[in-house]
Amino acid sequence: MSTKPSPLFVLWVLIERDLRTLIRSPWILINRTAFFLIQLFVFAALVTKMTLSSLPFNYFDFYSVGAVVSTITSIAFIIGADLFEEEEMGLLDYLLSLPLGHSLFVLGRALGGAVRGLIYTAPMMVLVAYVDGYSSPVGVLGSWLVLFVLATGISGLSITLAMVIRNENRFDVVIAMAELATVRVSAAIYPLYYIPAAIQPVAAYSPVTATSDLIRGIVLGFPTGLTDVTTLVLFVAVFFGLGSAFLFRKIEGGRFE
Amino acid sequence: MIEFKDVSKSFKNVDAVKDVTCEIRDREIFGLLGPNGAGKTTLIMTMATVFRPTKGEIVVDGHSTITDPDSVKQLIGISFQDPKYDRILSAREILEWHAKVTGVDKVTRKKRIDEILEKFGLASEAKKRTWMLSGGTKKKIENAKVFVQRPKIAVFDEPTAYLDVPSRLMVWDMIDELRDEGSTVLLATNMMDEADRMSDRVGIMSNGEMVQVGEPAKLKGTLKGRDVIELKLEVPIQELTAEMTKIDEVKDARFEGQTLKVVLSNGRELLPFIINVVNAKGGKVQSVNLKEPSLEDVFLYYTGTKLA
Repeated sequence: MSTKPSPLFVLWVLIERDLRTLIRSPWILINRTAFFLIQLFVFAALVTKMTLSSLPFNYFDFYSVGAVVSTITSIAFIIGADLFEEEEMGLLDYLLSLPLGHSLFVLGRALGGAVRGLIYTAPMMVLVAYVDGYSSPVGVLGSWLVLFVLATGISGLSITLAMVIRNENRFDVVIAMAELATVRVSAAIYPLYYIPAAIQPVAAYSPVTATSDLIRGIVLGFPTGLTDVTTLVLFVAVFFGLGSAFLFRKIEGGRFE
Repeated sequence: MIEFKDVSKSFKNVDAVKDVTCEIRDREIFGLLGPNGAGKTTLIMTMATVFRPTKGEIVVDGHSTITDPDSVKQLIGISFQDPKYDRILSAREILEWHAKVTGVDKVTRKKRIDEILEKFGLASEAKKRTWMLSGGTKKKIENAKVFVQRPKIAVFDEPTAYLDVPSRLMVWDMIDELRDEGSTVLLATNMMDEADRMSDRVGIMSNGEMVQVGEPAKLKGTLKGRDVIELKLEVPIQELTAEMTKIDEVKDARFEGQTLKVVLSNGRELLPFIINVVNAKGGKVQSVNLKEPSLEDVFLYYTGTKLA
């Protein structure tokens, strides 16, 4: 017979599952890393040359941070699709039959998505710090923490969408649109003042903008402030809360039926 | 003990389980019989707290699935009909993760996983991603999760589907061992030989209802007048049919060629008497065959449908 594991241990085991599946999918890692490297060393390098005189800062440095933020955003969105897949394959029945409380399960899934994103982007963050000439390990860890906070919120948003949209095809379309909107309507890969005036106010309060600004503040010394922290924290609080509440309600109501 | 108290579970307009009331005793192997769609899996999932019952309550070892689901889940381990695990992972990873999340300590975990993998002949394939393995191997891994966990209440949904004969026998032995160690086993199956061989008691489900519960032998005994004695004689003696029908328990008697077929109740007990009657009329018996009702007949009798 077995003993009851502690909640913290169970939480770790749930996150560990996401990590195990990540390690077993090296091609996804290679693909994302290759995309990141090409964007950075081909696209960003090229645009930097083109904008040398018109920008008051180095676009390559600016873009390198935004690329990491965009990548973690994309990865954190995957968790919603995972939930659909788990339900389709019957894995959700298995997971819900395990000796772990529903609240722990919900927390574990959301955090698992965030941790997975963090691990994906850790080497990228180190590379960015290196190419941008930033050498403080504390700063890199701080940036990592900010990325983790964003990934938790995006995971919450993805779970919320997965719970609200019942049809997988529709979900795929919505999630692609949401990902596009979250990254593109932000100052992740281009400066805010170049964004069309109509969507500039939205982009200014985007969590992706806030995260990019905060990390640029740490790594590049760009201006950042309380607004970015507040935007990010509010986003995470709302969507982590909503995602957890929706998933919890579905499970408590008798799974997805 | 597991108590099902007037349990119903509906999905929109479909009543998957209807007013099920029964008990599963400690340390028994309880066979849950029924064709696909009878409600077996829904009942199991409701007991495992994955589904919330629409009506009624299930109490597992004193813990309600509604008010104390976490305690219930602590007691249960399920081997699902269709293997349910991350197919990108290897057998060893799947078993390790399952054992870890169900609270099996590190030393025991390693020992049990090694033993089970060896026993199932999976040691050489333990590191392969499971999506690459055959259906039978995947099923073995699904069963192995419960054998590694060794829960107080072990649930096996069609545990020998896709398995070859030696593997079936091994799984049956391992389920017996699990019970001998103190587990209560719920065995959902539509294989009658499996239910008959394994179960202390069976519950027959049909269209979401539990139509009968009892020991296999006793349930067979409820089918009166279903035994058949076949006596092959050297020469048929027609008057024997009239002699046989004089016996109270005999429902019918007739010759088919040289063989006298007698349909009756309590065939096993009456066999010597029947042979004596034949001998008394000068009949010379060449061979005897006694057919008693099978669990399949019991199922047919109570549900009006055949399994599979």
